[in-house]
Amino acid sequence: MSMSAHSGDLLSALLDGELTPDEEQAVRAHLSTCEQCRRELRLISEGRTLVRDLPAVDPPFGFYERMVRPRHRWARAGVAALAAGAAASVGVMALAAPREATVSPHVAQLVDAHTASASTSGDPISEITPAAAPVSFKG
Amino acid sequence: MAGEGAPTWEEVARSHGRFLYTVAYRLTGNREDAEDLVQEVLLRVRRGLETYQPGSMEGWLSRIATNAFLDEVRRRRRRPEDLLPEDPDWVLPPAPGADDALAAEALPDDVQAALRRLPEDFRAAVVLCDVVGLSYQEIGEALGIPVGTVRSRIHRGRALLREGLTRA
Repeated sequence: MSMSAHSGDLLSALLDGELTPDEEQAVRAHLSTCEQCRRELRLISEGRTLVRDLPAVDPPFGFYERMVRPRHRWARAGVAALAAGAAASVGVMALAAPREATVSPHVAQLVDAHTASASTSGDPISEITPAAAPVSFKG
Repeated sequence: MAGEGAPTWEEVARSHGRFLYTVAYRLTGNREDAEDLVQEVLLRVRRGLETYQPGSMEGWLSRIATNAFLDEVRRRRRRPEDLLPEDPDWVLPPAPGADDALAAEALPDDVQAALRRLPEDFRAAVVLCDVVGLSYQEIGEALGIPVGTVRSRIHRGRALLREGLTRA
């Protein structure tokens, strides 16, 4: 008997309720006479049940909060975009980087002070570092 | 900009984080790759929220996850140094007389290991069907394949998984 005479793929579809009434009737009729297909049905039914019974898996503690500081291989190219988007969210920023959030006003004040002093020409620092450069950190 | 009623990606992570991680873990078979896959999914979610249509959020997430997973599999195939170790004999038929006795008490780790040894295309179909609970039609749309191919991949995937547990 050729393989095509057996139910094959239709057995999984039977278990999943994915057969038309006519297909289901034909498969059930075949099963009543074919020990090989009954055995196959039992095996795939067990495989199906085992996967369906797998438990949910908890992500590591703090996983989603840490995602603003990605370091993984996958999504390498898109990581910067995610971090930038997260940084725009005050809530996530507060969760992920409270230290930076606390410090940043002081840095901004220092940059402002330096920009103001750099605008007066003559001192060696402002000649080495263009006045516009520190301002870019504020963006 | 996200469409009306569309969640933010932070809300997706908060409300569906466990589900998404579970799907990613079942697809990849290990925590490190699962974490990477979840990251990739949330990046795609951020970019795609404006096209989200109210409906099954979990179905939408699992479609994104599965396609991101298969994209990564294809990328690794193009770069052989990144390939995961595989058992090339896995898809061969079982030896004659293989014992049918299933460890009825098969541990989830055993089942996960057998799932991971499936060819990725079969694994994706099985996960979408038996972990996520999508219909064959939905799986076909998610993977861009005909329903007949969905049926074949699910069936062969289940059969291989079950045989793998018999061998173990």
